[in-house]
Amino acid sequence: MSGTRRVRITSPQTRIALARRHRPAQHLLPPTIPGADDRDSTEAVRALFARQRRQAARTLALLGAVLFGLSGLLAAAPALSHVTLLGVPLSWLLLMGGSYPVLLLIAVRHVRRAERLERDGARPERGPGTDRAAP
Amino acid sequence: MIGLLAIGLLFVVSVVIGAYGVRAARTTPDFLVASQRVAPGWNAMAIAGEYVSAASVLGLAGLMLKNGVGTLWYAVGFTAGYVAVAALVAGPMRRSGAYTVPDFADYRLGSERIRKLCAVIVLVIMWLYLVPQFKGAGMVLHAVSGTPYWVGVVLAGLVVSVSIAAGGMRSATYVQAFHYGVKLLFIAVPAIFLVAHAGSGARAEALRFDVSDDWSRPLLDLESSGAPLLATWSVLLATTLGAVGLPHVIMRFHTSPTAKAARRVAVGVIVLLGVFYLFPAVYGLLGRVFTPELVHGGDTDMVTVVLPGAIVPGTWGSILTAVVAAGAFAAFLSTSSGLLMALAGGLSHDLSRATVPRLRWAVAAGATVAVGLSLPARSVDINVAVGWAFAVAASTFCPLLVLGIWWRGLTTAGAAAGLATGVSAATGAAFASVLTDGGPGWLVVLLAQPAAWTVPLAFAVMIGVSLRGSVPEWAERAVLRLHLPG
Repeated sequence: MSGTRRVRITSPQTRIALARRHRPAQHLLPPTIPGADDRDSTEAVRALFARQRRQAARTLALLGAVLFGLSGLLAAAPALSHVTLLGVPLSWLLLMGGSYPVLLLIAVRHVRRAERLERDGARPERGPGTDRAAP
Repeated sequence: MIGLLAIGLLFVVSVVIGAYGVRAARTTPDFLVASQRVAPGWNAMAIAGEYVSAASVLGLAGLMLKNGVGTLWYAVGFTAGYVAVAALVAGPMRRSGAYTVPDFADYRLGSERIRKLCAVIVLVIMWLYLVPQFKGAGMVLHAVSGTPYWVGVVLAGLVVSVSIAAGGMRSATYVQAFHYGVKLLFIAVPAIFLVAHAGSGARAEALRFDVSDDWSRPLLDLESSGAPLLATWSVLLATTLGAVGLPHVIMRFHTSPTAKAARRVAVGVIVLLGVFYLFPAVYGLLGRVFTPELVHGGDTDMVTVVLPGAIVPGTWGSILTAVVAAGAFAAFLSTSSGLLMALAGGLSHDLSRATVPRLRWAVAAGATVAVGLSLPARSVDINVAVGWAFAVAASTFCPLLVLGIWWRGLTTAGAAAGLATGVSAATGAAFASVLTDGGPGWLVVLLAQPAAWTVPLAFAVMIGVSLRGSVPEWAERAVLRLHLPG
């Protein structure tokens, strides 16, 4: 086993009970990254969170640009409807199939970047405040 | 007759696959999220199978025949939603360990009241979404066998609730993955056949761009408002952000083993949806040439089922009709079972204490109400009703999840105010749009598809009220925990 992922094991009833408590028990413990002590760890997790948030915002901006851009383009350039490709008006072609490959590209790009961020974030030597984490 | 046989066969296979999962459903987590052992490929297919509803199989082509090519923006938005899901919620939701959206609200805000409020909103969205599914079932059964509308509605309600109540989510996973295959195959193969059989004259006619006719315009319009770009954007906002907040879809990500897998599942869904959505357009375009009379009859939602018979006469026509009808039935069976699961979760798990027998009762109760609401809803366009469900989700759970996951400043009061504002504004606008008959103009758009203003409003209220309150000291930990690697 690689041992990269740790799973908390509780009975279903316990999990439901925990989820119901007014102040969920897991929030009492500070989040940790393996290999750093508590304070460094919290700083590292904060920095990772900030990077992830920037990445998510970039992806969302890109998605908005594609959706609003394409619809805006079709509204602004009616000439696209007079050009035909294999008998299909170009504007219809863009609407019917043009966006899906682009959407997939954006999603794949995001997943790869998010996974890289998490890999790097999990390594204490890359995060801030890690001077004491011996190589 | 062949149509009835095909649908009957689909019923039997669905129930058999559902029964296969019964063994596994022992505890509440087993029942709700299949104990997180579902493989990513199956999960992506199940999500796509659950998501491609009657709105996609029947509604898209129907609304396209009625209103024009621009209707396909719905499909673009339905797919784009998964980019937002992958970027914003899939991973963190999985890490939260919550089963349902109300569970997540409880995890993040630690408030029993907010859980109840969320559960009520789940019910609103799910019923809004179930009604067009059952409507589709009633219409298709009527089209292929002449049974009255209500028979199909009641029958679909029965089959879905029995299958779900017996097996829970695990069975639903396999049933829905199977249904995705059925839907794709049963809409794609007839589409290709029909295109080949239609003849070159009809094909050219179907693809003719008519400058003088709004039908050809590559933007959608709502209720002939004359503001197509605003309408398009509002629909895009509703469908894209609505996908983020759909309770039954969000629930599916808990069945992934890790956050990383959950994110990848979302990407897989984009592929499956992108492939599927290439085909409804074929029916809309050919329907314009072969079945223009549907537009005046009002039953445009039936174009996918009626078209094969209109193009190919005789036995082959009936066989193709049966195939398409079975595909359409797969669509509302799988979507309805996912919706009912989330409904049952809301009714039993979130509004009271969860036990498996009570979940089963909740399934039956949820289905009964949905059937009751569907009986008078025959004239509502499938896609319009689904658009409202998306608008409500986009104006309630989308801001709750996005802010809850990415902003530690969210407070219970802020979330509650935003949720209440979002759900009343979105449902209020939808009802106003049904009851009033406004002329052209942007106001009609903002009522018919309110997402353009209700989503920003809900976000603003949530942020504004949160900023005035104070955040508990553990809020940051709750947020950071959602973003830990692994």
